[in-house]
Amino acid sequence: MLFRIDPSLDETLFAQLVTQVRLAVAQGVLQPGERLPAARELAASLDLNVHTVLRAYQLLRDDGLIELRRGRGAIVTARPAADHAKLLAAIDEVVREARALRFSPEATATLLKEAFSS
Amino acid sequence: MTTGTEPARAQRQRMRLVGLAVTTCGLAILALAAAVALSWRGDLPDPVATHWGAQGSPDGFMSLGAFLWAGFGSGALLVLGFGAVTTLWGQSAASRRIGAGTTIWLALFLALLQLGTLHVQLGLADAREAGGIGGALTLATVASLVPAVLVGLLLPGDPPQPADAPVSPEASRVPLAPNERAVWIGHTGAGPGIALGAVAIVVLVALAVVSGVWGLLIVAALLVGVFVAMFAFTVRVDETGLLVRSSAGWPRTHVPLDEVLRASVVQVHPLREFGGWGWRVGRGGRVGIVLRAGEGLLVERTGGRSIVVTVADAGTAAALLNTLADRHRRTL
Repeated sequence: MLFRIDPSLDETLFAQLVTQVRLAVAQGVLQPGERLPAARELAASLDLNVHTVLRAYQLLRDDGLIELRRGRGAIVTARPAADHAKLLAAIDEVVREARALRFSPEATATLLKEAFSS
Repeated sequence: MTTGTEPARAQRQRMRLVGLAVTTCGLAILALAAAVALSWRGDLPDPVATHWGAQGSPDGFMSLGAFLWAGFGSGALLVLGFGAVTTLWGQSAASRRIGAGTTIWLALFLALLQLGTLHVQLGLADAREAGGIGGALTLATVASLVPAVLVGLLLPGDPPQPADAPVSPEASRVPLAPNERAVWIGHTGAGPGIALGAVAIVVLVALAVVSGVWGLLIVAALLVGVFVAMFAFTVRVDETGLLVRSSAGWPRTHVPLDEVLRASVVQVHPLREFGGWGWRVGRGGRVGIVLRAGEGLLVERTGGRSIVVTVADAGTAAALLNTLADRHRRTL
């Protein structure tokens, strides 16, 4: 999968990684049983500290998205796909409504973020 | 493109030199084996045994002259064929290495097998008394592989050949912010070639047990090594370029960003285009790391070189490689 890091964003570097893996799992880009890159390799390619990647992996493990296995690395855990179906359906709904009201994606995202922080 | 320039001339020279050298060596090995066999003429039965049945005793016979001509003729045809492939399709170091290694391996294997076949008949009055050739077969297999692998390993790689043109504008891109860093990592896993390999290994082990030719176990062990190396690959696209690496650590190959002309997605048919699965040379000298049929990442490279890797989500990998290559050319 594609990993991207933008240091000029407000979101911390490790949180950017966590978000991407979460999205990839939700969208089925990462399938259960698939292996995430070795932390050291990912860190080297993205010019990150290896601890940043490890911290992201640990957070993903605490959330139950991946398993960290000694010698085998980070594996995406098997979980029912229905987990995300409702959320994805709700997002479809949001997008449809936003389009109908001619809300820009940015404006809609801002609304979503505000809803999270309230 | 780069035709007529100094690097292109040097590249054509390399291809010709390696092709000519291995063809000459291959023919010399075959001729030497024939000469040694002829020097044994006085101690060999007439006719000589040339084929062995399943029970390990000879069941085919020929005159020595006919046997040597048949061996030299078929060997020379194969050497000339693979030598030509090395000369014409050796743009990439990997193609030259595989072509040269295969040429030397074929010549040595056929020469040693021929000599081994005759050696077990030295001093016999009647070729029907000849024993088995399991030992000769094993020796020919192992002793021919070692020098062939050495030839492949010792051949020099390609010198850097940076592109002088931008990445093809029609090729796909990934939108990246100016400060954004990105990497794409994918895996390509066991395909049908591995199943065939597993069957071959099991058959070899069974044959060794049934026939008592324990040398076959060495061949099986060598095959296990090959299949471990070819079992799975990691594919990575980042600011250093494209890296394809076996899960065993070796073999691996790297395409730097400044040699990328265009990356795209293709449908790969390993059997049709590469004659099988694994790390291969295909038509036109294209290097293929092809473990299954289907989606693959094609990278067209300077010097008329190209490489294909079968991997899922190749479209994203291609787009990122084009984007990073763009960015690399702009920062020069």
